[in-house]
Amino acid sequence: MKKFFVRLRIGIAIIVTKFLVFVLRLLGRGGTSLPGKAALKIYPELLSVLSDRFRVIMITGTNGKTTTSRIVAGMLDQAGIRYVSNKSGANLSSGIATTIVSALSLSGKPLVRTVLLETDEAAFRTVAPMLKPEIAIVTNFFRDQLDRYGELYTTLNNVREGIKGTPETRLILNADDSLCASLGRDVPNQVIYFGLGDNVYPEDFVKANTDAAFCINCKSRYDYISSSFGHLGHFRCPSCGYERPGAQIECTQILEYDNLSSTIEIRTPSGKITAKLALPGLYNIYNALAGTAVGHLLELGENDLVRVLEGFECGFGRMESFEAEGRTFRMILVKNPTGFNQVLRYLMTQADKCVIAFIINDRIADGTDISWLWDVDFEILSFILKKVRKFYVSGIRAEDMAVRLKYAGVPQDSIFIEHDGNKLINSMIEASGEKENLYILPTYTAMLDIRKTLRERFNLKEFWK
Amino acid sequence: MYEINICHLYPDLLNLYGDRGNIICLSKRCEWRGIEVNVKGISIGDDFRWEDYDIIFIGGGQDYEQTILQDDLMNGKRQGIIEAVEAGKVFLAICGGYQILGKYYRTHDGKDIECIGALNLWTHGGDTRLIGNLVFEVDFLKTKDNNGYIVGFENHGGKTYLGEGVKPLGKVIKGFGNNGGDGFEGAVYKNTFCTYSHGSLLPKNPALADHLIMLALLNKYPDFQGLEPIDDTLENLAHSTLIKRFTE
Repeated sequence: MKKFFVRLRIGIAIIVTKFLVFVLRLLGRGGTSLPGKAALKIYPELLSVLSDRFRVIMITGTNGKTTTSRIVAGMLDQAGIRYVSNKSGANLSSGIATTIVSALSLSGKPLVRTVLLETDEAAFRTVAPMLKPEIAIVTNFFRDQLDRYGELYTTLNNVREGIKGTPETRLILNADDSLCASLGRDVPNQVIYFGLGDNVYPEDFVKANTDAAFCINCKSRYDYISSSFGHLGHFRCPSCGYERPGAQIECTQILEYDNLSSTIEIRTPSGKITAKLALPGLYNIYNALAGTAVGHLLELGENDLVRVLEGFECGFGRMESFEAEGRTFRMILVKNPTGFNQVLRYLMTQADKCVIAFIINDRIADGTDISWLWDVDFEILSFILKKVRKFYVSGIRAEDMAVRLKYAGVPQDSIFIEHDGNKLINSMIEASGEKENLYILPTYTAMLDIRKTLRERFNLKEFWK
Repeated sequence: MYEINICHLYPDLLNLYGDRGNIICLSKRCEWRGIEVNVKGISIGDDFRWEDYDIIFIGGGQDYEQTILQDDLMNGKRQGIIEAVEAGKVFLAICGGYQILGKYYRTHDGKDIECIGALNLWTHGGDTRLIGNLVFEVDFLKTKDNNGYIVGFENHGGKTYLGEGVKPLGKVIKGFGNNGGDGFEGAVYKNTFCTYSHGSLLPKNPALADHLIMLALLNKYPDFQGLEPIDDTLENLAHSTLIKRFTE
């Protein structure tokens, strides 16, 4: 009898969810979170009960979740595995429930067997033990919207607790991140580490390691043999001996590195591959390594791995570009100091004249505290001052950003405040020459706004792919 | 030529919420006036000779990082910090740094953690964090063109109370301030200024930044005549835009 009621509730939860998704889509709304929320209200144990019907792959960590998910999706495609995945921005338990239900028929039979889930770090704590993923990838831990979770160690702990509930899960962890790598210590799980080889990309801009300079076990200061960015690198604690673990998936060489792509050599347990990533920046090399680790577990051959790595395109808002009025617009989302620093470093590879616009909002989705702008190393802009025709600042916090640029050494007369999106675009075009790059660096909600403006201004359909 | 030596205490541990922006701000505003600036980071195991510095800064950190420095602070730098404060050195303490200068921090479960005790104030951990934009009014910054308002962002779990001899830095106009109850924010004792306001504090409150620089120069150069004005168009714009937004 009890079993009957469980099945009944699952059935109702599925039907309600599917109905809500249907109605919300009719209304032209996204419908990614609300239906799942309703499902969990009807049957809170839904995820646990459904977990054995699926093979789940979860991706969590503060930076690079979306891009890594995209690469993993490519690996699944290449392996001929059908799957469903959640949309960016729907990575809490409600969005995950919506996604899981979408993989079921009305009678509760799985339509596909594999579910790929980008998962918020706090949600991971509760969702992972319920879904018992076959594979969990943790990308890294950088400070991100501290007003949301309190602090970095809370975020790390959330993920650690999640892992405790899933001893069977195979973990894919960042070896170069002392916080992330610590998740693989003293756990029964099988662990695969990925990272950059020693001195593959030695840090060349001076930057103090601020996120995790001290040993997570014994609080001594780490020694670094080499570092890539932020606190990532080959760390070693001189006191307790905790050090960067050996990486099974390792980038052994960066052969080319410019503002559009990088060509890297990756060593996996089954051999070496060379791939040209169609995404710029060191952070994307890490994302590619995490994706390669999944490809390795799926037993993809060398050619398949290379095909996926060379074929993937940008995730939602991570870097999108289009041509208009003879110029190239390039938009890159900025959301926390580490990500922003990587974007600035990417701008260092800019060869010709360009225009840069920073659009900073402080709505809840952006983080209401914009203090983190002072943790970003805008000082390195001094290397490209001659190439930047004008710096524009926009968004709710345009004035804060203007002050930040001034104190980073950008001359006051090359900083322009423009709140209106349309005027901003016009001014950027006017300030630049043919074929030049116009960079737009918005926070999350600013990105939604400016994308709308661009779409209307240039009659673009979905230019983000 | 004037010279200012700034000490940044525990820059690798107490570095939350962009507080290093305060150091950047002090340095630049000196530099733009032709005042030479040296900034030194002093962390665990380093000698702290307070006499060498004109401005001392201490920021806030994550809980884990504050436990790392506890021993170095209480058994090492404590005495130096107390002496510096008593000697009238210009001292700026923000958030966790503010709490550290007090007598104790009472945790959520009633345990008292001893702090430096340089200032007669104490902090009780609360169940909810006080988070949001913060505007307060500082009397000593008032002039005929300046209402003395300071704008920043607060994010603290502790509620701080001031004892005898310590005055609040300002009166809360918007936000919670020290404890969300008595309507005051921050603390002043001699030339030590404490606040919960990060954001960063000084860049968009240039009057306060200049006040600290001026006090430091007065301490060091008895013949010092006052700071030259500099172009604060952007700073003032950021300041007034935010004050307007948060108080109207």
